[in-house]
Amino acid sequence: MFSFKLGLKNLTRQKRRNVITIFVIAFAFFSYLMMDSLMNGMEEMSFDNIKNYDTGNIQVSNPEYWEDRDELLLENLIDLNQDMEEGIKSTDGVLGVSPELRFKANLNNGIDEILVRGVGILVEQYNEVFATQNYIIEGSMFAPGESKAVIGVSLAELMDLKVSDYITLLIRTKEDTFNTIEIEIAGLVRAPNPMINNGIVFLPLEVAQEALNIGNEISLLSIKTVSGDEGIITRALADSFKDKELALSAYSWKESASSVIALSAAKKGGIGAILSIVLLIGMLGIINNVILSALERTEEIGMMKALGMREWEIVFVFMVEATGIGILGGLAGCLLGYAGVSAMVKYGFSLAYIGGDGSQYGIPILDKIYGAWNVPAFSFLFILGVAIAVFSSIFPSYWAAHKDPVKAIYHR
Amino acid sequence: MSLLELKEVKKIYQQGKIKVPALRGVDMNVEAGEFTTIFGPSGSGKTTLLNMIGCLDTPTEGVIRLNDKKVSDLSRKALAMTRRYNIGFVFQSYNLIPVLTAYENVEFAIRLIDHASVLQIKEKVLKMLDEVGLKGLENRRPNELSGGEKQRVAIARALVKEPKLVLADEPTANLDSKNAADVIDIMRKMNKELNTTFIFSTHDPMVMKYARRLINLKDGMISADERRG
Repeated sequence: MFSFKLGLKNLTRQKRRNVITIFVIAFAFFSYLMMDSLMNGMEEMSFDNIKNYDTGNIQVSNPEYWEDRDELLLENLIDLNQDMEEGIKSTDGVLGVSPELRFKANLNNGIDEILVRGVGILVEQYNEVFATQNYIIEGSMFAPGESKAVIGVSLAELMDLKVSDYITLLIRTKEDTFNTIEIEIAGLVRAPNPMINNGIVFLPLEVAQEALNIGNEISLLSIKTVSGDEGIITRALADSFKDKELALSAYSWKESASSVIALSAAKKGGIGAILSIVLLIGMLGIINNVILSALERTEEIGMMKALGMREWEIVFVFMVEATGIGILGGLAGCLLGYAGVSAMVKYGFSLAYIGGDGSQYGIPILDKIYGAWNVPAFSFLFILGVAIAVFSSIFPSYWAAHKDPVKAIYHR
Repeated sequence: MSLLELKEVKKIYQQGKIKVPALRGVDMNVEAGEFTTIFGPSGSGKTTLLNMIGCLDTPTEGVIRLNDKKVSDLSRKALAMTRRYNIGFVFQSYNLIPVLTAYENVEFAIRLIDHASVLQIKEKVLKMLDEVGLKGLENRRPNELSGGEKQRVAIARALVKEPKLVLADEPTANLDSKNAADVIDIMRKMNKELNTTFIFSTHDPMVMKYARRLINLKDGMISADERRG
């Protein structure tokens, strides 16, 4: 126990160096926790923004349409009928169903033209699934039966459009003939998902169906479910489609968000790399500290050996000191991390610092990324940090304790 | 039976390709309770001899017996245990631990061998500090003590575990004459009261004056061994 006490007392020696080492470890821990919080926040927000503004929790479509869904082709569409819709709505956990007709269009403002995605919707059902209407910043969502459109604010700025302006959508029908949709803008939306704001025109489903000459067909159904039950409901829907011999499949939002999920997987690799660097910094700090302490205290080590201390007892003294530095550095890092993550959760990180919204980087986030709490990361990092401090002090401590006692005592 | 017995002890250091003999065959016996001084010019082998006796180093040749136990070919661990239980050291530069108080520096040595209660250890340590004249200075750290006081702490540390043998390498070299005399007085007193065997190495004529046995070491060999009444 006296060796333990001595190890602790040794922490008060070389205060400046110990404080620097503690600070370096603390800063490394802090950086990791901030990065982890930011990455987790980005992941949570991205997934929420995909579910709440683009895909819903589940999408139902013809499997062949799904394969080429990004092409927005008018093939392999679903014939919308009440039985099918009711069947889906009656599935346990389903909270809302929104039929959508997605198509390619060129938006013309009379001067310029730009390729956009037209989305025909039944507005009441759409509002049950998506939260887009809450982000209309000018005008309003069109009412059922009203032949108006809603476009993203970024698209409006780009095309110099405002509420009540008329736009022309140039489209190709299923038979490959050209047609146009002349429609008034009812509202401008600024949704948290920038992909919605940049290139989508929402319009009534029946207007789109008529212009595209596709009868009562739709591209897909977006479904809102109880969060977390997507897997079970997707399987239930798939079974139901199979039983009814419908050429339909259900897909979880994760399948639409594959690029963001890939980004998330890359994030985990990135966090692993950061963690390795953090631990390496901690290790180097501790090793450096123990070696310098051992060099400064050579005579003291000699005296300890003269008193009859065994090598492991001397190793223990140095390890207690190194572990103390690891614990203090870890605690300081976790406290700094707590403060930093609190600020990140409350105030967020503005994407303006990296030059605009996240869509440029494939991240469906508009203004700010808010941090997310990952409490296990704190305890994991702290425990790992202490373990690394213990581990990295073993070798230099043993090196110190293994000194020849005569050379140690008379080393000057 | 002698407490310490050395037979033909030789120590040769290898410096590159050159062999440097530090001890060339030392024979000596030391009885329990002796107060012995080893003196000689620098490089005569005094410190090397003390290191051999103190189980800090092993001889290249020859036999060392301490308390009738051959220690010259013990393992590192066994040598450490011999030092822990049988030998106290006093160094020229005190070698106190700066973060520990005078009390804790002494306590450190006894904690290694004695598993008595905290109160019993405290009593022992305070008594020893009192014996060396440091009553009231127990809570001072080494940087708050004079050279003489530091050496007294070192003596208390060496004696608190009641070793059979205390080895002191130039214990007065860093002290003024007054402090040096005090330190020697304390060691003489302990020698008498506890019958602890003391072996010094020194250049200091005053230490030699107090010694009851003087061993002159020259070129790694004993050139004179004088016992006084």
